[in-house]
Amino acid sequence: MGFVGNLGDIFRILKHTFRQVFRRPFTYFYPFEDREYPETTRGRHIHIRETCTACAACVRACPVAAIRIDKEDKKFEKDCALYFDYTRCLFCGDCVRACRYEALFHTPIVDLSEGDRDDLIYGPDKITTLDRDPLEWRGRRFR
Amino acid sequence: MSPDILDESSVIWFGPQHVSAHGWAAKLTIVGDYIVECDPNAGYFHRSAEKCLEFRNFRQGSMILERICMMEAFLAEYPYIAAVEKIVDLEVPERAKIMRTIMMEFNRIHSLQFWWGQFAGELGLFVMLLWPWVDREYSLDAFEELTGSRHTVSYATPGGVKYDFTPKFLAKMETALKLVKDRMPVFNDMLAGSPTFRLRTEGVGHYTAKQALKWGLSGPNIKACGIPMDLRKDDPDPNLAYDLIDWEVPVINNEEHPGESDAFDRLLQRFKEIETSLDIIEKLLPILPEGPIIDPKARSKTNRLPEGEGYGRVEGTRGVTSVWLKTMAKAQTPWRAKIRGPCFASYYSLKHIVPGARFADFPAIFGSLDPYPGWWDR
Repeated sequence: MGFVGNLGDIFRILKHTFRQVFRRPFTYFYPFEDREYPETTRGRHIHIRETCTACAACVRACPVAAIRIDKEDKKFEKDCALYFDYTRCLFCGDCVRACRYEALFHTPIVDLSEGDRDDLIYGPDKITTLDRDPLEWRGRRFR
Repeated sequence: MSPDILDESSVIWFGPQHVSAHGWAAKLTIVGDYIVECDPNAGYFHRSAEKCLEFRNFRQGSMILERICMMEAFLAEYPYIAAVEKIVDLEVPERAKIMRTIMMEFNRIHSLQFWWGQFAGELGLFVMLLWPWVDREYSLDAFEELTGSRHTVSYATPGGVKYDFTPKFLAKMETALKLVKDRMPVFNDMLAGSPTFRLRTEGVGHYTAKQALKWGLSGPNIKACGIPMDLRKDDPDPNLAYDLIDWEVPVINNEEHPGESDAFDRLLQRFKEIETSLDIIEKLLPILPEGPIIDPKARSKTNRLPEGEGYGRVEGTRGVTSVWLKTMAKAQTPWRAKIRGPCFASYYSLKHIVPGARFADFPAIFGSLDPYPGWWDR
């Protein structure tokens, strides 16, 4: 490879670089804007107590023992209270697959962050409700 | 080497804090700019995955394996499932077999895209660090559409797969694969065609096929020496679909030094691996039949396993990945699990490859071997 050959190589690379300059940016203005999550996204769970039968299939399916069940705490006829420990949860989706009564689902909310570790243990109040839409709380949206 | 040279030597640690050593460490003895001794140190990533498997049942164990190597999550979890399927008799539907194979090759492409970026980044070419990673996002989007998770897909389960292909997923996969195909010539120019890159990789990290066999290397590292050793061809898994189609083992044979490989050959080898994976997916998609995706009795059959031993293995991105399971009668969990990662061999072969190289070539050598710390510490 002589001097001319090297120069040719460099120009071939520069061609790609210039083409890249005019491509649209791939990044998002994250806290204010986010991409669309598919319906299948395995985010935080939601527990439907109306259809729950307290069979504890989700508790047995969990590989990391992140779910605690309280069968005494009944709101309806045969439901139970679930406590999700999101410091342990892997979001593997096995609890949702194990549920045969359509009482446990994933939601597309994936940004779980709290100031305190204990707040990441979602009790029956938090796990049965969605406190926000996946995108709304971030306020205004750009682009 | 005469002893008086060693008098001037100094010992430095490469890692665990170095940017391109991803948390692992090697002790290097250096004379001037030359490395005379390399002592790789394992243990910084030990999370006792084998012990963890003894406390998980047969449907849960694969979640642990995925987290050993996030880049090839599906390829990492599959050997465990193959081992379970060896112990208990499950009928995997034809559709599930092909879906598994497609996902496996798709995951391999994704892992190799990550490797391009990582390798270029280790050599200081930061533009090439980001470009493949941008393209990788499309693959991750497709994984997310299918399984709900971007890296740790948890896709296979004993007896089949968990999620069925949807038209949306197939569209996203097509986009991702088309992008890979379109960008191959660009990356070929940027890496293989770049004089800077060639200067840094050609003739660096040299070993022969005989040495590679002796050290137990596998996967692209041994195929780069011209040995067509590939588990997909040599020992096709009955629950995968590699034997349904015709395809060729990707092998690089450098005419300048046949039977040997350097860092540049290993780069070309991984380019060829991607082409093969694209080819396999293209051939498998048209023959995907309709039908169930899981053995209906899989759940009840995997609750308690009979006494036995199972050994599942798969050709991963980095080499042969395998899991051995031993179960007692009516076992809910394995009695003992052994994981064989592909990177232990490539990591400790640094001990033989590196001495004599210049210090600046060290990232090029270990980058081209594609070691992943999770695999040697488990």
